[in-house]
Amino acid sequence: MLIYIFKRLLIAIPLIFGVLTLTFFIIRLAPGDPAAFFIQPGISPNVAEQIRAQYGLNDPLPVQYFKWLANVLQGDFGRSFSRAQQPVFDVIAEALPITVTIAGLTLVANFTFGILIGIVSAIRQNSFLDRFLTVTALFFYSMPEFWFALMMIILFALKFPIFPVSGLNEIGAESYGVFGFIVDRFWHLVLPVTVLSINGAAGIARYVRGSMLEVIRQDYIRTARAKGLPENVVIFKHALRNALLPVITLMGSSLPFIFSGALFIEVIFAFPGMGRVTVEAIFARDYPLIIANTFISGSLIVLGNLFADVLYAVADPRIKL
Amino acid sequence: MSEKGAGMVSAVCRFAGYLLLVLVVVAVSSCSNHNGSHGKSGHASAAMDSTLVITMLGDADYLNPVIGATVTSSNIFSLIYPALLQSEFDTTTGLMNYMALEKKLRDVTPGQGKKTPKAAIAKSWQLSEDHKSITYILRHDAFWDDGKPIISGDFKFSYQLYGNPVIASARQQYLAELVGADKGQVDFDKAIETPNDTTLIFRFYKPVPEHLALFHTSLTPLPAHRWKDVKPDEFRHSPLNLNPLGAGPYKLKNWMQQQEIVLASNRRSNLPKPGNIPSISFKVVPDYTVRLTQLQTGAADVVENIKPEDFTALLKANRQIQIKTVGLRVYDYVGWSNIDHEEYRKSGTFKPHPLFGSASVRLALTNAIDRQAIIDGYLKQYGVVCNNDISPSLKWAYNSRITPHAFDPAKASAMLKAEGWIPGADGILQKNGRKFSFVLYTNAGNARRNYASVIIQQNLRSIGIDCKLDVQESNVFFENLQAGKLDAWMAGWSIGLEIDPLDVWGSNLKKSRFNFTGYRNSRLDELCELAKQKMDPKGARPYWLEYQEILHRDQPVTFLYWIKETQGFSKRIEGEELNISGSFYNIDDWRLRPSTTVAP
Repeated sequence: MLIYIFKRLLIAIPLIFGVLTLTFFIIRLAPGDPAAFFIQPGISPNVAEQIRAQYGLNDPLPVQYFKWLANVLQGDFGRSFSRAQQPVFDVIAEALPITVTIAGLTLVANFTFGILIGIVSAIRQNSFLDRFLTVTALFFYSMPEFWFALMMIILFALKFPIFPVSGLNEIGAESYGVFGFIVDRFWHLVLPVTVLSINGAAGIARYVRGSMLEVIRQDYIRTARAKGLPENVVIFKHALRNALLPVITLMGSSLPFIFSGALFIEVIFAFPGMGRVTVEAIFARDYPLIIANTFISGSLIVLGNLFADVLYAVADPRIKL
Repeated sequence: MSEKGAGMVSAVCRFAGYLLLVLVVVAVSSCSNHNGSHGKSGHASAAMDSTLVITMLGDADYLNPVIGATVTSSNIFSLIYPALLQSEFDTTTGLMNYMALEKKLRDVTPGQGKKTPKAAIAKSWQLSEDHKSITYILRHDAFWDDGKPIISGDFKFSYQLYGNPVIASARQQYLAELVGADKGQVDFDKAIETPNDTTLIFRFYKPVPEHLALFHTSLTPLPAHRWKDVKPDEFRHSPLNLNPLGAGPYKLKNWMQQQEIVLASNRRSNLPKPGNIPSISFKVVPDYTVRLTQLQTGAADVVENIKPEDFTALLKANRQIQIKTVGLRVYDYVGWSNIDHEEYRKSGTFKPHPLFGSASVRLALTNAIDRQAIIDGYLKQYGVVCNNDISPSLKWAYNSRITPHAFDPAKASAMLKAEGWIPGADGILQKNGRKFSFVLYTNAGNARRNYASVIIQQNLRSIGIDCKLDVQESNVFFENLQAGKLDAWMAGWSIGLEIDPLDVWGSNLKKSRFNFTGYRNSRLDELCELAKQKMDPKGARPYWLEYQEILHRDQPVTFLYWIKETQGFSKRIEGEELNISGSFYNIDDWRLRPSTTVAP
């Protein structure tokens, strides 16, 4: 298995470089100018030129590419154009913990509630409870997240002011002490995590339900029951383990989401996470930041897929890598 | 199986129930400590009582006056750094006034002029008779926060930074009259002299009107002793940018990038005094609905640019909110290509645009557009019909004799007919086999322009003009506009308080970078030059009156409406004076009424 992982990682290197090279050319060929902000009345026409010279954008494209390549091979992805010329990985390092916290909590909630609802729906197939859960899950699954987030804010922050509207902490939260500060932070995360996880859990519940239905009709489940095993053991040990195989794929593909951020939620709840960093970088034509973000998310998609494949082998002894 | 299944369901439900219970317990226990944004704990309530919360769309770029280029940055660094002069917009005349400690440019009407000159570092100034140099005498009692005196050398040092091409300051235009600038590079040794620590002399290569000399020589200084070792190519990413040393009424307490900037009242400051409110928090809230909700729940005290359609619900929901207006500085317009840009790009020759090349056609288009309907439908009392780009707020120059072109589709049709545009079989006007059909472009994400563009489309359709609408991403839109690729577009300008419109209307299209229409009128060029040469702005009034009449006659664009910017304020703020020069211009004088919910 180790050789397999090593091989996959080796293949990933040219793949990621290919993606970065494509990104490099596509964003430079797209309309828009990183110095566009400085082209306005009252600002000397020299400024935009000076800014472009600072960013090295006056060189021909191939020269820019080779300079960039030389820097990247030394691990230097450059400085952000739009964020006070901070090194791009500093920008990402600031945004990442916020996104990881939200996405980590969301993933736990997603899978916990998704799997639970999926199991209940499957073992009570076609009952009122199953139909109710299915309709509810579809309702939330089809709902646009940004709209749902705004509705939650109107309901729980405006009509019934229980939760804060946005931000990571209350003003003056530093005075609460460490425990109070953490509770305050969690309190601010309730609405965004709920919005993200209800939507996600609904999707996972549909997967788990379908998968469980298939599994509990298998002969080995009947055999398990015929042996007189308690229902808990049949469902959790024999059925669930097999039913979760497709869910593992979902878990692998969720990995990039942990790091790339949930854009709408970050914008609406004013969290300076990765989603916002990426989109703002695109609008500002902040080339180094866009490429660094592509690098992070590209690497994670590759790693996520690899992780899912390895998990498959762990969960199912029939799969050999 | 169904019995066993039911057992399973109950087990799962029990588990879910426990989970829910735990969540509720955590929620309730935290709720008792931090009850949302209303019932604060003692600490939080006290923090809110001493903290003013202003929401912002995005973060400041730099808190450094040399390179901070956004309005947000400038709002914040102007509270941290000292200023050579105090400036104020005089609403009775529409002229800028500049004040040193012991001298004013002009006396203002009693009751006007709320700003005290106490924050100015200059005691007085003297402009030479030939208007080619200005000498400032600085006060002795101005100090940076580290206790070092603010001296003339700080200003010279800072101007060298502003003029350094490697630093690329967006304010280098302010140095355009200094000695040497006419030859391409300011000669700082000759242009700025500092005979001693309290004397500062600026020299110009040409005579400069006094108000412009004051405006251009009063850029915010940086402390030279702090910045002198920073190399120009490291200036933009120097760690000093995150820890500004100022002397103003506030100092930076905390900057969590992309989240919040917190300023604390600067107890040491005598320029003019420590800010009244102990703490000001500028919070980044990118989403408009959330900013609005924050204002409504009391989590924010100031939210800028509230859309008129939200006023009623907002004021109904919370009576502690008031809407304040400032303006008029911003207008929207429909731009018509006066020339055939494709021909100009190819051969450099000027050929009238086949649709919009004639002033008479453009005038007909203005007559066909119901500007009042757009105002009534969207802006309501917060919009005023716009005739040209000199704001009614600049009373000294505004031509009030001009009557707006009325909405008159019949007149528009007649004018178009006279120009040879006759309805075809499909009802669309035609001339020499060409249909009067075009695309009106605008930038994405502007609800006001979307609203206006739909009305314009209907208005034009009713007189037989086929106007298609297209919305482009802002960067793409701007690039196409600059390249002269758009025949018709809707955009807007925010005007400066000093009138200088050559960039937008000048006939030399290479120099006038923002003349997107390609409009050319030599008399207009001449008037702008004549006005600039007047040493007293009021002396230029006749030129500006004629300028406005020309624009009104030629309609290079259809000016739509001036917009009053509308800001939502919590009523717990006292002493705020909004001014066309900025919503926060006297923020150091604001006070917060204590909250009534604080327990005794």
